[in-house]
Amino acid sequence: MKATHLVWIRRVSQAFFLILFIFLLIESRLPQDIYLDYSIALNGEQEIQLDYPVTYFFQIDPLIWITSLISGHQWIKGFGWAFGIVVLTFFFGRIFCGFICPLGTLHHMVSYIRPALKKQDMIHANQKHASQRFKYFLLILFLIAAVLGLNLTGLLDPMAFCFRSLALAVFPGIGTGIKELLDLSAQSDIKILNYISYSGEVLVSPVFGYGYKAFKSAWFMGVLFLFILFLNRIRPRFWCRTLCPLGALLGLLGRFSILRLEKDLEKCTNCSLCLQSCQGAASPIPGQEWDASECMFCFNCFNACPEDAIVFKLRWPKEVSKTPDMGRRAVLGGLLAGLSFPFLGRLDGRVHTVSDARLIRPPGSLPEKDFLKLCQRCGLCMKVCPTNAINPALTEAGMAGFWTPNLIMIQGYCEYTCILCGGVCPTGAIRKLSGKEKIESPIRIGSAHIDRGRCLPWSGNGPCIVCEEHCPTSPKAIRLKEGQSSWLPAGKAVNVKLPYVDLESCVGCGICEYKCPVKGNPAIRVISAGESRSVANQILLKL
Amino acid sequence: MNYHPITRRQSIKKLFKISGGLALTGVMTWPFQKTISAWAGSTRKKFIIEGIGQDPEYSVRTLARKVFEAAGGIQKFVSRQDVVVIKPNISWARPPDLAATTNPEVLEAVVELCQEAGAKKVRIADHTIHDARRCFAITGAGMVAKKTGADLVYPRSSLMRNMKLRGHRLDVWPVFLPLVEADKVINLPVAKVHSLSGLTLGMKNWIGAVGGRRSALHQDIHLTIVDLAQFFNPTITLIDATRIMVANGPSGGSRSDVAVSNRLILSDDPVAADAKAAGLFNLQPQDIGFITLGEKWGLGTTEFQKLREHKVII
Repeated sequence: MKATHLVWIRRVSQAFFLILFIFLLIESRLPQDIYLDYSIALNGEQEIQLDYPVTYFFQIDPLIWITSLISGHQWIKGFGWAFGIVVLTFFFGRIFCGFICPLGTLHHMVSYIRPALKKQDMIHANQKHASQRFKYFLLILFLIAAVLGLNLTGLLDPMAFCFRSLALAVFPGIGTGIKELLDLSAQSDIKILNYISYSGEVLVSPVFGYGYKAFKSAWFMGVLFLFILFLNRIRPRFWCRTLCPLGALLGLLGRFSILRLEKDLEKCTNCSLCLQSCQGAASPIPGQEWDASECMFCFNCFNACPEDAIVFKLRWPKEVSKTPDMGRRAVLGGLLAGLSFPFLGRLDGRVHTVSDARLIRPPGSLPEKDFLKLCQRCGLCMKVCPTNAINPALTEAGMAGFWTPNLIMIQGYCEYTCILCGGVCPTGAIRKLSGKEKIESPIRIGSAHIDRGRCLPWSGNGPCIVCEEHCPTSPKAIRLKEGQSSWLPAGKAVNVKLPYVDLESCVGCGICEYKCPVKGNPAIRVISAGESRSVANQILLKL
Repeated sequence: MNYHPITRRQSIKKLFKISGGLALTGVMTWPFQKTISAWAGSTRKKFIIEGIGQDPEYSVRTLARKVFEAAGGIQKFVSRQDVVVIKPNISWARPPDLAATTNPEVLEAVVELCQEAGAKKVRIADHTIHDARRCFAITGAGMVAKKTGADLVYPRSSLMRNMKLRGHRLDVWPVFLPLVEADKVINLPVAKVHSLSGLTLGMKNWIGAVGGRRSALHQDIHLTIVDLAQFFNPTITLIDATRIMVANGPSGGSRSDVAVSNRLILSDDPVAADAKAAGLFNLQPQDIGFITLGEKWGLGTTEFQKLREHKVII
């Protein structure tokens, strides 16, 4: 096959997988088909489920598969795909990086289109660099930490990183900009602008989200994403060469690849065109030893060589390539860090001693210790939550739980019959529930308590039953009792209805906190105490 | 703040309507003073119709049609080329059998009737409490919209506009625009109990027609309900009492909270409709604050017996 053909096959494949990734990312939301057949829905037989397998890109990721397996001891459904990638890598090297990985494709695009470096600078930047060992350090760190029950992989796993950055920062950011513009035209007196605004929102909302989406620390995710894209201007595919732990894993597996770069020293004129176009800094130039574990099989060098001195060939029986250059320091450092991080992560006591009262996990979440073994912080549950309640945690879950999902009830609430987050979790850190199971068990995510100093009827500032009215359980967890309150400012005693929380019925859904008219710190708040997933966190004797 | 209580176009229209209307009535009535007033007197008498489905196999759709027939047909209220907006109560993402929301069969029947009357556009609009997409799907309103081709308006924040309500309690408040920008408004509430206002009926349904800090309205619930009812002033009110929520209102959540009542109440007097529906819960109209207040502020009468009263039984 001619080299140009190979390059074009690669480009088509990259485009296909990038578009698929973005399509599935957009589809990770409440289905647009609101025309559910209610006669079936009312029997509880039909649930609102997603139309597309949005977890696909997490299932083909071998790093997520392996770390979930060794830390959570869970054989996760759908990870046959990841096994397939491992087999593919075994025969064809890091072809995943060059052909499939959507984050790699983004980096490739930024590196390739109008590169900042010219000729000699580019050749220099594409020489193999010692910093490329850093990804092995990260890989070893993640694997060892996973063995000891801390799964940090998702912080830098390319699928989780890409999904999180796009779904929580890039898309909501663009969406906010568009919506501000549309809101502006909606306020206009000119009728046609109103129509444009409405139809614009009809088109934009399904892609960028309904209303103004908000995610805690999303600005940082966005800046980090832009920064990592910018690094491609200094060294092409910087992330893939230096940081990507999945790339490191595939590099190690791809050592035995039967697809090999063969060089003809005789034909080489040392023009360095191969180096100039090399994406992986894998030493393609004749005279240096080719690095199978750095090569991303983009076939640029093959295509660039004017003398046919570089050829990719299938070689059977297998030849073992040069040992991957991991570096002793990277290996030892990874081991040490991997051994120490899990225990440092437990020092804030979130797992063993006390949990943060505001750490409210999505319904169906595993007990905290198991949760941290599996959660990839990919942001899928946060993207899919229709009320925008699920946010990335900052300090609530401690260092080990940075960016894991956490419900913020003043921003949204957990809809009583909604089960989307459990349905999309790629590793099962949030269990898949049925609506029936969620209600009938019931699955509690916390419990509500009333701040009588702020509550309007309790503090004598006015009648209000908003929390009781919205309480979704039957019988209601918030009950009203007739009582007397001395009305401010007249001081007249009046009969009011005073709210009480019945902990046995409360599931902690948080709609009371969300709808409470007392803003800022609502007069009724939900804390994690009473959550079903933790035995230690129970309040009542009876479970 | 940049709000427009009433747009320029609207104010000119209104001006024309008032001045033109006055001039016309003046010219028209002068020679026929007596006949006109006699005719006007007879139509001013409002009606209230109660439809009861006694046959265990009765169809809600037929009952709704019969009720409108008894009122003189839908053509009396909806003219050709009208934009009709229907305000059901689909605030909660609850399946129809839990009685937290308007029965989709009733909604469907009313949409069909409006379309048969030649309405240019039929819109279904409600500012829901739960996430609107889930409400549309689970309450069946989405299915109705798909079947009938009616527009289901998503309650976007950009569709909330500050308007002058000129109420006793509420002055300027954000209003869900589609409910004002229509020729005819049909109120289609479901009858439920409510922990603060006593009952949720026709007039209270208008809380779902505004935006802003809605949960603060509960601090003076009866007067705000009357203010909103006076502002929105529907063409007709059809209360869905095919099944009513008798406990755990207004959200419910269990079939044990629901009682079957098999009734529809149609009236062009919003207070009378609510007063009649209060009877279904064994309550007197005087027991419900907003009904009494509604009568006090001249929105209608609680003495529905004095209206043209009909019963339709199938």
